[in-house]
Amino acid sequence: MVVLIGTEKPKEEGHSPTDVRSKRLLIICALGALLVLTAFVAILVGTLGPIGPGIPEKISFSEAVNAIFTDSEYHWVFWNVRIPRVLLAGLVGAALACSGTAMQAIFRNSMADPFVIGVSSGAAVGAAIAGLLGLAAIIGVFAPPMFAFVGAVIAAFSVYMLGSVRGKIYVDSLLLSGVAVAAFLGAMVSFLIYFARQQYHQLIFWLLGSLTLASWDVVQILVFPIVAGAVVIFLYGRDLDALLLGEETAHNLGANPEFLKKLMLFVSALMAAAAVAFTGIIGFVGLIIPHISRLIVGSSHRTLVPAATLSGAIFLILADTLARTAVAPTELPVGIITALCGGPFFLYLLRRNSTGRDR
Amino acid sequence: MASKSGSAFDWKVWMVIAIVASSVVGFSAGYVLGGVQKKVTLSIVDDYGRTVELHGIPQRIVSVAPSPTEILFAVGAGSQVVGVDNYSDYPAEARSLPQIGSYTLNMEVIMSLKPDLIVSSDLVPRAQLDQLEAQGVPYFIFATRTMEDVIKDLRLAGSLTGHSLEAESLVAGLQARINAVTNKTLAAGVEKVRTYIEYYPLWTYGPGSFGNDMIRLAGGANIASNASNEYPELTPEFIIAQNPQIIVYTVGPMTTTTASDFADRSGWSITFAVSHDKIYSIDDNLVSRYGPRVVDGLEQLAEIIHPELFT
Amino acid sequence: MSLSVNHMSFSFGDVQVLKDISFEVSPGELMGVMGPNGSGKTTLLRCVTKFLPSEDGMVLVGSKPLNGLTPAEMAKTFAVVPQSSATDFPFTVHDIVMMGRIPHIGSRLSGESKKDIYVVHQAMERTNTVQFAKRIFSELSGGEKQRVIIARAIAQKPKVLLLDEPTAYLDISGQIEIMDLLKKLNREEGITTIAVLHDVNLAARYCDRIALLNQGRLEAIGTPKEVLNPETIQSVYGVDVSVRRDPLTQAIYIMPHSAATAIHKHGTRVHLLCGGGAGGIVMKSLHDGGYSVTAGVLNVLDSDYENAKDMHIQVVAEAPFAPISPENHAENLKLIDESIAVVVSPFPVGPGNLRNLEAATYALKSGKKVILLRPQEGQSVDFVDGRADALVKGLIISGATVVGDVEELLSQLATRRG
Repeated sequence: MVVLIGTEKPKEEGHSPTDVRSKRLLIICALGALLVLTAFVAILVGTLGPIGPGIPEKISFSEAVNAIFTDSEYHWVFWNVRIPRVLLAGLVGAALACSGTAMQAIFRNSMADPFVIGVSSGAAVGAAIAGLLGLAAIIGVFAPPMFAFVGAVIAAFSVYMLGSVRGKIYVDSLLLSGVAVAAFLGAMVSFLIYFARQQYHQLIFWLLGSLTLASWDVVQILVFPIVAGAVVIFLYGRDLDALLLGEETAHNLGANPEFLKKLMLFVSALMAAAAVAFTGIIGFVGLIIPHISRLIVGSSHRTLVPAATLSGAIFLILADTLARTAVAPTELPVGIITALCGGPFFLYLLRRNSTGRDR
Repeated sequence: MASKSGSAFDWKVWMVIAIVASSVVGFSAGYVLGGVQKKVTLSIVDDYGRTVELHGIPQRIVSVAPSPTEILFAVGAGSQVVGVDNYSDYPAEARSLPQIGSYTLNMEVIMSLKPDLIVSSDLVPRAQLDQLEAQGVPYFIFATRTMEDVIKDLRLAGSLTGHSLEAESLVAGLQARINAVTNKTLAAGVEKVRTYIEYYPLWTYGPGSFGNDMIRLAGGANIASNASNEYPELTPEFIIAQNPQIIVYTVGPMTTTTASDFADRSGWSITFAVSHDKIYSIDDNLVSRYGPRVVDGLEQLAEIIHPELFT
Repeated sequence: MSLSVNHMSFSFGDVQVLKDISFEVSPGELMGVMGPNGSGKTTLLRCVTKFLPSEDGMVLVGSKPLNGLTPAEMAKTFAVVPQSSATDFPFTVHDIVMMGRIPHIGSRLSGESKKDIYVVHQAMERTNTVQFAKRIFSELSGGEKQRVIIARAIAQKPKVLLLDEPTAYLDISGQIEIMDLLKKLNREEGITTIAVLHDVNLAARYCDRIALLNQGRLEAIGTPKEVLNPETIQSVYGVDVSVRRDPLTQAIYIMPHSAATAIHKHGTRVHLLCGGGAGGIVMKSLHDGGYSVTAGVLNVLDSDYENAKDMHIQVVAEAPFAPISPENHAENLKLIDESIAVVVSPFPVGPGNLRNLEAATYALKSGKKVILLRPQEGQSVDFVDGRADALVKGLIISGATVVGDVEELLSQLATRRG
């Protein structure tokens, strides 16, 4: 065993890393506070007002506050339309960003996102089938999300089966099988769309991604899997760090690579499928947010996972706020906003990083 | 998860459980607000066979498609309409009403109008309508495929809004005009003129669509009446082989087709319609807004197809 | 802690990579594992750490078997330093070293404790990497990265430290840096260390013992001197080498000969008068040229004497520090009589070996062809107040040929041979 030579405290040289834990706590608290603030502001922004175009009429701040806390004229709108929507945006943004972080670690590739294992295309097929068969009328209003969820899970499972040999996951095969399955299912969706002209709008509406179906029911259904999933991924943060240095290194550090890959794939797929089932395919959040977070807070996952999760929630709340007010009363699919905002910001950050690296 | 013996394990596990539990509880808190139950006084079955229950004559109707808007105004219920979709531009009064989006509906605007009924066509995504219903607002679907459906819808709209008398008199007048046309066009011995109708280059009205029914009533034989679906895209070879006698194209805000285009399409000049310059246009609204205006459309179409019957 | 490997075997499918390997490593020992490519060195490490499931074979650490250890316990037993660690992700050096504490942070719910941070800091101090703590790992040089990985391994507080070709991608300064560090850690901390090394001389210089693998079998195990002899190396690597002792470190060092080319031996005898090390290259060229070479008179401490011994060349040997005796001189002349030509390489001439030049004069008088190699610029060979120069001048006047290098020498001999 190692014999400690001398027992002096570590010198505070300015490089001393004793503030790692406090830095982590600071980041999480700051982002948490920012999330709460963003949510409050988002609740005050909408077509009705007080911040917004004021359709059908503009209301004042006091009226809005009144509406939230008392049973006034617009109480119903705030409690049953706006607040669930902001909460849903936060949940889905958190789910996508957290899932994306885990996927990027598993695939050791910062270009991976939660949909790389076929979740989005599987959900699209499920939703398309439910829409075409008119199942909402027969089974109930949650039929399309149910089918979308099942489709997503089946697709992810197929990708997993194709990408592993005798129970051992090969990450490169997984990536390729994800591409193959997504391509195949994408063709199926196009085929279904083409032959169901009547339901064209229904399918497109779902595919472009939108939070317009937010309600307390949806929030209730999603909150447990998303929060629990995020907690699980956070708890395995150190293991993900080790996995990023290679499977042999992970093994030698005591992390169990096979179990870890399976667990992370399972949890990420579940979170992404749950989110996608209700909101359609909202892209970029799961790719950009983890990446940007990593550039800012570093790659240690015990800090990165909560940072990305909270940032994802903030980002989608902001994007959705824009989506529902920019061209009111028409709503833009939020997927367009995420792409428009995410892309250029990411390029900016990358440029700044690479010029900073020139020595 | 790896576990460790000792007190550190306990409080951290409880902290995690507390975080998850409080999130679930917090997020569900708002659900506590329930809906208010009211008495059902009116029960109507819509075009999808759904029984819609209302609490009194609806005074705050939101129409999320242009055809239902026209129907409501036509039976005199315009004053009961408080919101319309972006495409509802007829009649003129509809344009001044608050807009609530189109296809993608703005839930917030709709709910802040405090509607007691939503009327829709069958093209609007059902998921959003279902959600409005979950919020306590029933929806009524008009699914129009034939001219008879239009008549039926006008009557339904009348019952729905308490304007049954107005609806009946409107329907009577429309039916008379329809009969005036069909008595001539559907009489024995009248030749069915082969008609190709186009709302977008190569796209036409197939079997089961409204346009198909209109052609039939106007005394035409829709060359696409045996196509694979309601709104098929045909191939040029098929159209040319069918040799339509009349070509009609609809004109809407996005249309760029002109009559001379057809002669330019390669191979089309051998068709009867092109060689004899039997190319006509019709206002798109008259064949796709399923309200009283379709009767205008029918009359125009009949004159185009059988000019000899309507001098 | 001691480590013992007992009857370890492993196959990839049909190919048996490890064949019944058994050996022991004493506590605190620095053991090198060597062998040609494909001999199973890396596989051996992976079987020890259970990354690969070996078929049979028990591994004991401190006399306790590894069966039933959890992954975390395994990670507290072994720390592995691979050849290279590459990642695109922006981990800081501190992040990397902290990963060594993963097996020690028991609960997933806990973060790093003060002790973990202290151990990490200590490890970085030991490896002189503290100044890199906040830098991005992927931006460091190869040697710096390996030091960081070694810091991580130390932070793991293992019982046995395993390294898989830690210097493979390093330049010469990096290699020395890492091996010095390993040696220091091994000595100061007493961690049992096993390092797979590909560089024979590094292994000879730093390891207490060496295990030599060949085609999955343990060919030899012992001190560098015992294991790294020309016969063993020839049979395992197929290369001819000379073994010397590094004058500064007293460690063995290996000098490989170039790959043997077909030599057409014609047995023409040439006698070489040399000394001071310059004769080695002449011996080799003549030997490769197919000549049968003899040499003399050489002092046994002279490096040319060792060169001759390497090449199994017959040498007239003289005792250390002694002048050439009459008997040895006579034998020298006898060898000259049996040769067709005599080659004189520029050796430092002192009172003790002046007679070698006299032998050259004798050769010329006997009608033998004498070829002199010109000394290098500035090389002084006369330490007898000009008597050597005079003898050389005399040789040249009397018909000795002077050549500039061994190529010229060979062509001169060839024309003579006809």
